[in-house]
Amino acid sequence: MRTHRCPGCHEYMELTRRQALAASGAIALAFGVPAWLPRVAYALDTSASRDIIVSIFLRGAADGLTLCPPHAEDRYYATRPTLAVPRPDDADPNRCTDLDGFFGLPPVMTALRPAYQQGTLLLVHACGSTDPSRSHFRAQRFMEVGKPGDPSLRTGWLGRHLASIGPRSPTAIIRAIGMSHGLQRTLVGSPLALPIPDLDQYGLTGDLATRPERCAVLEDFYQAVPDPVASAAVTTLRTMNLLSTIDFAHYVPAAGAVYPTGGSGTALKSTAALIKADVGVEAVAIDLGGWDTHTNQGVTGSGAMATLMTQLAGGLAAFNSDMFSTTVCRNVTVVVLTEFGRRLAENGTHGTDHGHGSAMLVLGNHIAGGRVLTQWPGLDPEDLFEGIDLEVTIDFRDVLAEIVRYRLDNPNLAAVFPGFTPTIRGVTTTCHDEWRGVSASPAGPRVQPPGM
Amino acid sequence: MNPTNFADKGRQGAGVRAPGDRPSRREVLSPAAIVAALWAGTSDASAVPGPTDPLRWLVHHVTQGLTESEFNTARSRGYLGYLEYQLNHTTIDDSALDARVDSTTYPTLFMTPDQLALPSVQARQVVDELMETTILRSVLSKRQLYQRMVEFWTDHFNIFIDNGIGNKLKTVDDREVIRANALGTFPAMLTASAQSPAMLVYLDNFGNTVRRPNENYARELLELHTLGVDGGYTQQDVVDVARCFTGWTFYPANAGTNAWRFRFLPENHDNGQKTVLGHVIAPGGGITDGFDVISILSNHPSTARLLAEKMCKWLLGYRPSPALVDAVASTYLNPPPPASRGDIKSMIRAILLSREASDGTARKYKRPYHHMMAALRATGASITSTTAIRTPHLLAAGQVPYSWSAPDGYPDTLDYWVGLILPRWNFGAALLHNKIGGATVDIDAFLAGADTAGAVMDRIETAIFGGIGGMNPRERSLIANYLLPDPPTTGRKRDAVGLAIGSPSFQWY
Repeated sequence: MRTHRCPGCHEYMELTRRQALAASGAIALAFGVPAWLPRVAYALDTSASRDIIVSIFLRGAADGLTLCPPHAEDRYYATRPTLAVPRPDDADPNRCTDLDGFFGLPPVMTALRPAYQQGTLLLVHACGSTDPSRSHFRAQRFMEVGKPGDPSLRTGWLGRHLASIGPRSPTAIIRAIGMSHGLQRTLVGSPLALPIPDLDQYGLTGDLATRPERCAVLEDFYQAVPDPVASAAVTTLRTMNLLSTIDFAHYVPAAGAVYPTGGSGTALKSTAALIKADVGVEAVAIDLGGWDTHTNQGVTGSGAMATLMTQLAGGLAAFNSDMFSTTVCRNVTVVVLTEFGRRLAENGTHGTDHGHGSAMLVLGNHIAGGRVLTQWPGLDPEDLFEGIDLEVTIDFRDVLAEIVRYRLDNPNLAAVFPGFTPTIRGVTTTCHDEWRGVSASPAGPRVQPPGM
Repeated sequence: MNPTNFADKGRQGAGVRAPGDRPSRREVLSPAAIVAALWAGTSDASAVPGPTDPLRWLVHHVTQGLTESEFNTARSRGYLGYLEYQLNHTTIDDSALDARVDSTTYPTLFMTPDQLALPSVQARQVVDELMETTILRSVLSKRQLYQRMVEFWTDHFNIFIDNGIGNKLKTVDDREVIRANALGTFPAMLTASAQSPAMLVYLDNFGNTVRRPNENYARELLELHTLGVDGGYTQQDVVDVARCFTGWTFYPANAGTNAWRFRFLPENHDNGQKTVLGHVIAPGGGITDGFDVISILSNHPSTARLLAEKMCKWLLGYRPSPALVDAVASTYLNPPPPASRGDIKSMIRAILLSREASDGTARKYKRPYHHMMAALRATGASITSTTAIRTPHLLAAGQVPYSWSAPDGYPDTLDYWVGLILPRWNFGAALLHNKIGGATVDIDAFLAGADTAGAVMDRIETAIFGGIGGMNPRERSLIANYLLPDPPTTGRKRDAVGLAIGSPSFQWY
């Protein structure tokens, strides 16, 4: 056991000790797990083949019916005279591109077609939270804690995942980063997690000449105080040093990928650089705002939502080229989610009100992509939630749970999604391999999941 | 001379006790007993840094940052006297602040709703003036406990300012709901809040009508503002409370002098019978339905409990004893006469005159806003603009005023804020090197001629930590070493004060 005076490393030391004990068969259960996560068998797997996860939250309730228009539905066009994205065979230049004969991609999202065709991009439709709330705050909170309807659960699903499994890299000094001013609820509960809004600007400011000495004083200060302050301060100092070794400004993406500036582009580019630097970060949470399009939704050209979609698609497409080419393939899964969707019918101000079901995107090397996964409920009034909104027929936790289980190698699904029994939907190819004789039909919108 | 036996130990002011008596944890001590207990000896330094002297502890807990002059004021009045001084906030002369925060410099701050409704009044200016004056008030006001309670209630009745016309309406809410009632009574504040157009917009109640009910306000009213998640209400209560508040809206911008004022629209009101927490509200009540709900909630023991616990955590520490929370909840329901139910000052007395307060060991981690206000106060910074304080510093630290989007307000937990320590270190360094536009520290005036490491540290301890010995000795010596060799350069002196701002001692109160 090496001596190490840094209290922030004590977690790592404990893990090392417990791994050794577990390997020797001495003790197996419930070590390294915080007290608030009972009945968890701490997953010791530190395999680097498990994925790094990037969770992107579209804040404000993104309209799934525009992200992935159901162009085969007449009702879509009847209820959205100015907002519906024209059918693939329409003369209008703003027509959507067909994906599978039923769904399409709006023109501003066509940057994602290569990823779709490559099979790394999966769209999931008519999915989300079954909680009926149409309040942004409540719905976001419920989704981030992974337990709709529970207002007192404080930790996030990804935080609980990270707390119930050993680090992907045993020497990681930081495991999760929330790219935000304040750790997102999604990551609350994670060990070794910090909010870092800008990876390229995370350092001690002030006179360069005195910086090392000032750093040393701060490190000396915070060694001797109780946790969690000591751990946070020491992790901060070490992360500052770590991030300063990564040249974000001169990062060259693979395969000539070009990230758009601003919005998701910058965040994903920094994330890519961080992942390739292989410093131990295994989870990144990114927020993209502005999706609450009550007025002048603007789905084409430089409209409000169109601009957001262009950035999102451009960022994800660049990330796809950067991470999942034939020559270099990273173990990363990106999941894009939003708190709920928007009203089927457009309102009187060329926008849409709060809805229910929406779409999710999943991007990764072991994702069963190249299709739209859905149990499409239809858009007739009797098929709609409360008669007005796209129904939710796939719980968002089904998608996340499958990723947690098969891409993040964490069997503790009951801890990550308490009170929920997930249905495997076929999101991951790992899972697909385990089935026999069941495959998703790319042609039809109705994918029957296997029985549990 | 000798104390008689007081059977009624729970009552405040039960009488003098002998020094050897040990009061039960349940009771609130009499004023004289507190004085005896407080000065009987200092408690051991806890592992968490912070003031151990009760008076210093009190000043830290009722202000948005200890200053040398404030601590001197406290010393001249003693624990009880200083607390009463701060509670009687209207008698504190705040004319210097008022001269600074005036209607010539900040016209929108003083505008009536109809004036704010004019399109010529820019939302950006309104938001800017509100944020700037809030900071100025925190830094400069002598009514410090009042400012602390304004911050508390702002979070409790949170309104996110980036919310359409809420941008302008929050100024009115800040003035007429929060500041008007921060040291008043909770029922009055709740009544004002329910009718506040800013709140009606933020939680969608303006659109809550009999034809299309909207439950958002009703739910947050019960869950966050009054009873609490476990306070004993059902989904049906939420539905019926929402029905009671149908028709509670406000006049549009073109309604002349009434513009943007509260309005009850009878045609939008659900006049059926409702049942709220077992109370039957008869049909045809109109606007009184909403007032009935406010009354039911204001008088409910769960409300008393929720507020008691939140206020104990605000003023004391993260884990107030259940006994104290009970006592403070009782004080809410039955304050000492002539105070009426929900009297905030009575609750504050119950908290800050309790054993747990006089122990001086309850500690809290400063939230970023508090930390920065405390730094500005302690260093005597001269502020001509707050723009740079807000962006990038408060933004990086995660607490720009009025910018928390969810109705639960900025969290007041250690776990939430502890990962955001780098912005505090950078703030301290930037402030002391005058790199924050609009905020300058006169380092020579602050250090008053100190030109040895020891003298500089003495000045830091006196000005920032309430006196020699106010800092953790280890931290003091680490900074002292940084200053050496004597005489320290000006740059090193600035760094030293900046490091003190970033030190563990300064993060806690």
